[in-house]
Order: sequence, then C-alpha cells, then structure tokens
Amino acid sequence: MNIRDLFVYRGTSTSRADVVLAVCAFIGFIGFWYAVAEFEIVSQRYLPLPHRVVTALHTMLTEQNFIEDIWISVARVWGAFLLSAVMAIPVGIWMSSYRIVGTLTEPIVDFIRYLPVPALVPLLIIWFGIGESSKIAVLWMGTFFQLVLLIADDAKRVPREFIEIGFTLGAKPRQITWDIVHRSMLPKIVDNLRITLGWCWTYIIIAEIVAANAGIGHAIWSARRFVKTPEVMAGILTVGIIGLLTDQVIRLAHRRMFRYL
Amino acid sequence: MTGDTPFLRVENVSKTFEGDGVQHPSIHVIDNVSMDVAAGEFVVYLGPSGCGKTTLMRTVGGLETASAGAIYLGGEKVTGPDRRKGMVFQAYTSFPWFTVLENIRYGTKYRDDIGNAEKEEVSRHYLELVGLKDFADYYVNRISGGMRQRVAIARTLAASPDILLMDEPFGALDAQTREFLQNQLLEINREERKTTIFVTHDVEEAVVLADRIFMFSARPATIIEEIKVAEHITGERDIASKETEAFFYLRNHVRDLMRREARRTEELAQRELMAPEAKST
Repeated sequence: MNIRDLFVYRGTSTSRADVVLAVCAFIGFIGFWYAVAEFEIVSQRYLPLPHRVVTALHTMLTEQNFIEDIWISVARVWGAFLLSAVMAIPVGIWMSSYRIVGTLTEPIVDFIRYLPVPALVPLLIIWFGIGESSKIAVLWMGTFFQLVLLIADDAKRVPREFIEIGFTLGAKPRQITWDIVHRSMLPKIVDNLRITLGWCWTYIIIAEIVAANAGIGHAIWSARRFVKTPEVMAGILTVGIIGLLTDQVIRLAHRRMFRYL
Repeated sequence: MTGDTPFLRVENVSKTFEGDGVQHPSIHVIDNVSMDVAAGEFVVYLGPSGCGKTTLMRTVGGLETASAGAIYLGGEKVTGPDRRKGMVFQAYTSFPWFTVLENIRYGTKYRDDIGNAEKEEVSRHYLELVGLKDFADYYVNRISGGMRQRVAIARTLAASPDILLMDEPFGALDAQTREFLQNQLLEINREERKTTIFVTHDVEEAVVLADRIFMFSARPATIIEEIKVAEHITGERDIASKETEAFFYLRNHVRDLMRREARRTEELAQRELMAPEAKST
C-alpha cells in the first residue's frame, strides 16, 4: 500500500498498516514515558519508569494477594452488570412496545440517568451499608437507567415493516417481540452491553475507593496512602488490561454470532 | 363461501388521518371507495404517488382502520392484520439474520393447519417457485434487491394467505429486474391463482399484470375508472403481452388518465405548500 494514502483526506488503509501503526504508537508512548522518567523531567517519585510498574504488578500478584482483589472486582462488576442487563433488556423492549409504558417511564428514567453516580455513593452506602450490596447498587444505578434507554431506542428502530410482516404472517405480539424485535436488535444489544460493561469498571473503582476492604479500587487507594506510585499505576494498568481484553472478546463473539452483518 | 358473497368487498371506505390541530392538518386520503373482488382475481390499484391507494390496500390488510365504511374478506369483517392477508412491501423486508430458505420457512412458522414436515415441504416448494433453489443458504444481504423481493414473495405465499397484498414491490428495482420479476409474478400467478391486490404507479406494470385496474384520482382517492384488462388482453399473460395491440391501446388510455391525475397531484401539493394552515378536504 502507498503510505501517502494514509494522509489523504478520508483516505483508505489496510488492516496490516493499521496494526503496524497501532504498535508504533504504543512503542512511541512507552518511549516517551521512559524519556520523561529517565531524564527526571517529572520526578520518578511521581512518574516511575514503566518497567518498575510491571515489577510492582508482579510483586503485588505474587506477594500481596492482588489476584484476590482482581477476582473480587471482576465478580462485583459482572454480578452488577448481569443484573442490570437482565432487567434492562426486557424493560427497554417493553417500553418501546407499548406507548403507555414508554410515556410513564421515560421521564423518570431520563431524570435518574442524569444523576451523577459518584454523588449517589454516600446515599447508597447509607441505604445498603459498606458490604457487597452497596457496590452492586452503585454499579446498577450507573448502568441500568442508561442501558434501558439504549435498549428502548434500538427496539424502536426495528423497521415497522418487519413488525407488520410478523402480523400478516399470523404472529401475536409476544411472538413478534421474541422472533422479530429481539432477534433484529440482538447485534445492537450486544454492542450496548459491551459499552455498559466498560462503565461498570469506572463505577466499581469509585465504589471501592470510597468504601471497601478488598478489590482493585481498594488496592489502588491503599497504595496511594504510602505514595507507592508504581503500585497505583499497576492497579490502573490492571483495570485497563481487563477492560481491553473483555472488550476484544465481546467484539470477537459479536463477529462470530452475527456473520450476516 | 355462499354464492352471492364476493370474495373481497370494499364498502364505502373513507379514511382521514386525524391531524393534531396545530402543526399537522387532518388529511383526507380515501373518499367513499367501494369495490368487489372475485376469488383468484388479480387487481391493480393505479394512481399518482401519494393518492391514497397504498392506504386503501393497507386497510384491506387490516394495518389501517377505515374512518368510515368496512371491508369484508370471505364475508367476514376485517378488523386487524392476520395470516389471511399476506403483504409484500416495497422496502426490503426479508430478515437479514436468516438465510433465504430460513426466511421462507419463517412464513410457515405460525401456521397451525399443517405439521412440521409439511411446512418444510411448503418452504422448499416456494423456494423453487421463485427460482432461488441455488441460493437457499445465502444470507439475504449477499443477494440482489430483486432476489430479496422474490424471497419476500415466497415467504408471504408460504404462509398461505387468502389474499396477497403487494405495495409497489418492484418500485425500488431497475427496469430490467422489474420486468423479469413481473414475468415471474405472472408465472407464479398462473400456478397459484392467488387473489391479489397490487399497488403501483407504473402504467405498463399495471396493464401487463392486471385482470382489472382501479384507476384512482389524486388525493383523496376515488375510483375514476375501472379498466377490465382481462376482457381486452385474453389468454396466457406474459411479458410478450406487452407487444400486443390491445396492450398499446390500454396503456395509452391509462397513461392519459395518469397524466391528468399526476398534474392534479402536483397542483394539490403546491396549494398545500402555499397555504399551510388550510386543511385539505
């Protein structure tokens, strides 16, 4: 391919060139980081060398039981995420199916959606204590109301003709919901779940920083107290890696599941 | 059915889409239309764009309710959509998550008159009838627009409706494909003898396909002429019928009617734009 194509306005690229460039960008980023830390443009106390972060991560995993923190956070995220999804998908489709449900719920959902989750954390701790239920509650508040509207919107976008075809082939509303509406929007549902799962990771860290005695957020916050910058960064890196991996796995599953797209 | 009950009766049907009294005025789209259609007849609704012919067909299908009048299919009043009234739309409605065969099979899904083995047989029969046997396992986004419409027709037929309602099914296709599909529809019709209402604004399409044409006026739709095509173009109908003298005569006649109504439609549109607050009657 011609390098010049990459500089043309709205030009084209190849997947190979994309991969090469992505790797280059990453190497460049790490290199820049090394340079800044090595020459102490920023003190290493605040910006440790990259390999020190990796070493810190290794120590945390082997000596400080960090793997348990990871599992706890993963379990919290997935628990809350699944709860949110299981509730939001049927409710969202229901909202789009009957005007009465949509009209009654949309204003409330819209309002709650705009409440900043961090502001809700103290309230949720008062309500649910500092145990697991308050973590789940924070994540659920942060994702359910967003997801339900996304689902309702996608359900509304199922072509009207698809639904009319269903009726004229003899389907009942319940059958149309399952066989046509749900099936038609399924790729969109998976996409939205992927995005929602990302938000869960934002909120879990907030929840664990505020009140927890285990979890990645808690580990990061504990390391901060002793200004163990490499450990703080290792914790952040862990969240990033888990996020990236799950995202890629879901994208791959999406491609496999929806070959017709 | 008893002797004097027509297969389909449209009785004094009028339709007004109620406006909100603020931004959207009420639109009177169908004005007191009546007709009888016999079993097995191929009827074409012809009229200028936006005249209300599609709305009338949708009302027959139970997808719209008449503001006045009623529709009877097999002597029974139409109250909503169901499997007896099969539809084919202009937009591509074959489901992308299904293959060609799966789409056609879906047409049999809600049938309770036949068993699973028979459903499979019916699906394969229509797959062959529309000539897509070699594409049975293709997802529909891999096939052309014309093929997609054939899938949609096969799927609707597989549900075994009493009447087939087609809303400009070939409207989005190029001229060659359209002619090919017209021919195929004539072939299918020879085999199936399915009562059909076909909506179009293409004069040649109307004349070549129809046993009878109902020519509609500009909005609100009224029948301005009924053209009994089958009395003029007799015998087997195929694409070669377009070369007969009877065809030329009918086409020219219908085209003149269409031109007049199309002009009126334009004038109507201009009037409405210039006087937006005036409610059309």
